[in-house]
Amino acid sequence: MIELTNVSKTFQDGHKALNDINMFIDRGEFVFIVGQSGSGKSTLIKLLMKELEPTSGKIVVDGKNITKLKRREIPYLRRSMGVVFQDFRLLQDKTVYENVAFAMQVTEASAREIRRQVPIALSMVGLSKKSGLYPKQLSGGEQQRVSMARAMVNGPSLLIADEPTGNLDPEMSWDIVKMLNEFNQRGTTIIMATHDREIVNGMKKRVIAIENGDIIRDEKRGGYCNEA
Amino acid sequence: MKLRTTKYFAKEGFNNLSRNKVMSAASITSVIAALLVIGIFFIIMLNIDYAASALESQIEMMVYLDEGLSEETISVMRDEIKSINGVKDILFISKDTALKDMQKKLGDNAYLLEGLESDNPLPNTFIITLKNPQDASSVSLALSSMANIEKVSYGKEDLEKLLKATYVLRMASLLVIVILLFISIFIISNTIKLTVFARRREIGIMKFVGATDWFVRGPFVIEGMLLGVIGGIAATALLGAGYYYCINLVRDQMIGILSITLMPFKQVTMSMTALLLCVGLVIGTIGSLLSVRRFIKV
Ligand SMILES: Nc1ncnc2c1ncn2[C@@H]1O[C@H](COP(=O)(O)OP(=O)(O)OP(=O)(O)O)[C@@H](O)[C@H]1O
Ligand SMILES: [Mg+2]
Repeated sequence: MIELTNVSKTFQDGHKALNDINMFIDRGEFVFIVGQSGSGKSTLIKLLMKELEPTSGKIVVDGKNITKLKRREIPYLRRSMGVVFQDFRLLQDKTVYENVAFAMQVTEASAREIRRQVPIALSMVGLSKKSGLYPKQLSGGEQQRVSMARAMVNGPSLLIADEPTGNLDPEMSWDIVKMLNEFNQRGTTIIMATHDREIVNGMKKRVIAIENGDIIRDEKRGGYCNEA
Repeated sequence: MKLRTTKYFAKEGFNNLSRNKVMSAASITSVIAALLVIGIFFIIMLNIDYAASALESQIEMMVYLDEGLSEETISVMRDEIKSINGVKDILFISKDTALKDMQKKLGDNAYLLEGLESDNPLPNTFIITLKNPQDASSVSLALSSMANIEKVSYGKEDLEKLLKATYVLRMASLLVIVILLFISIFIISNTIKLTVFARRREIGIMKFVGATDWFVRGPFVIEGMLLGVIGGIAATALLGAGYYYCINLVRDQMIGILSITLMPFKQVTMSMTALLLCVGLVIGTIGSLLSVRRFIKV
């Protein structure tokens, strides 16, 4: 599904965010990316979305070498993956339904497809009843669920979440992670960058730990810290 | 492009336009200003062409004679000219007749000529009718070898003078037009930059959910086109009204003595509308593309 070979990222100011990273993530896996603030988690995710270019190395997503992708092919890469962020990134002047539908609209989906898929996505995150509300009227956890529905509405095979629970209390965080786990059980590959020790320890999933741009640990059923 | 996408672009484009009304109004005003100048220039050019083709097909030549020729000389000249190849007919207009004609033409304004009877500055004139307009230069050549002729004037010659006289005007308008076009594009692009800025979050979201560049651009391009076209319509309306007024003025007023005929209203407005709308559309599109270019790179 995802393969990084000798990937490095050095920013224009000379800061080395990732050093010669190698990793392989198989279809259907659930992977936590952990590491201290500034260790390079978001940078890694941006490379996968092609929001950043690696300084060197090769990144393959879904059998495609995305380092060689042309600019006009990037949108189609992004449609094949859902992305969720810490700050939800919802449009405040659009309802829950419209926010989710927006992700389909920009791919020029038909009104019929939109009418069919949006309610399915909303029911997956348990927000069918709130589809007419605006983001301001929702709790943080609910807003994050809207953004997850938006990420899933185009049926991606990969969902990337960059600290999706960063702004949520523990209970809501668990809601979100359980939901991600459900998506995973239905076959979606999940990559989640997080600081949340409790969740990582509780889920017993694969953990890739990054420190100063290096992978320092990669365990099949790992915890947040090395057996602390 | 799919119909629903077109609809989406149109809807969002209109929304953008009404979102910052002040800047939109400023852009439209600058477009109007630029298009007015272009339009005026265009109308003048059309009319010069119109006059030119009228002059070109003119089959009359005016032969102005020197002062103080005897009737006998004039009569000899008349026969001589009539025998030139290509001349169909010749008519003599004496100084006095010419003055009376002019007084008649001026009507109420005849007082302008008062006092000229005693010292009439108008020359004795032959009006030659040619068999066809192509003969003008050969006839003119033949006339030039004759004595007692002060000046020969005919369509082609007037045409050249006309074109020469308007050369500076045309170059100056061209320069002004180019400057105004740049200003309009600049203002449109800044207006749209404001909407792009106001919607940058939305653009960011569009990009990470997989919108193509042109899909992101669409509404802004529509916004630019609307600014340009609205300006174009307004300018067309203003110029149309102005031209209509000019035609009537020329027809009714003393400007008539200049023997100008303006190009008919319908002919002018049709090509002017097409031109101004196209130019409006083009500057709107360029302006919007310039402004979105930078923000779209994510
Ligand atoms: N555009 C940039 N230019 C220069 N340096 C950058 C840029 N973006 C990120 N960095 C640096 O790269 C390092 C890794 O950043 P990154 O955002 O990947 O960290 P992170 O692991 O996601 O941290 P956090 O847990 O706080 O989100 C940081 O030191 C950061 O300052
Ligand atoms: Mg981060």
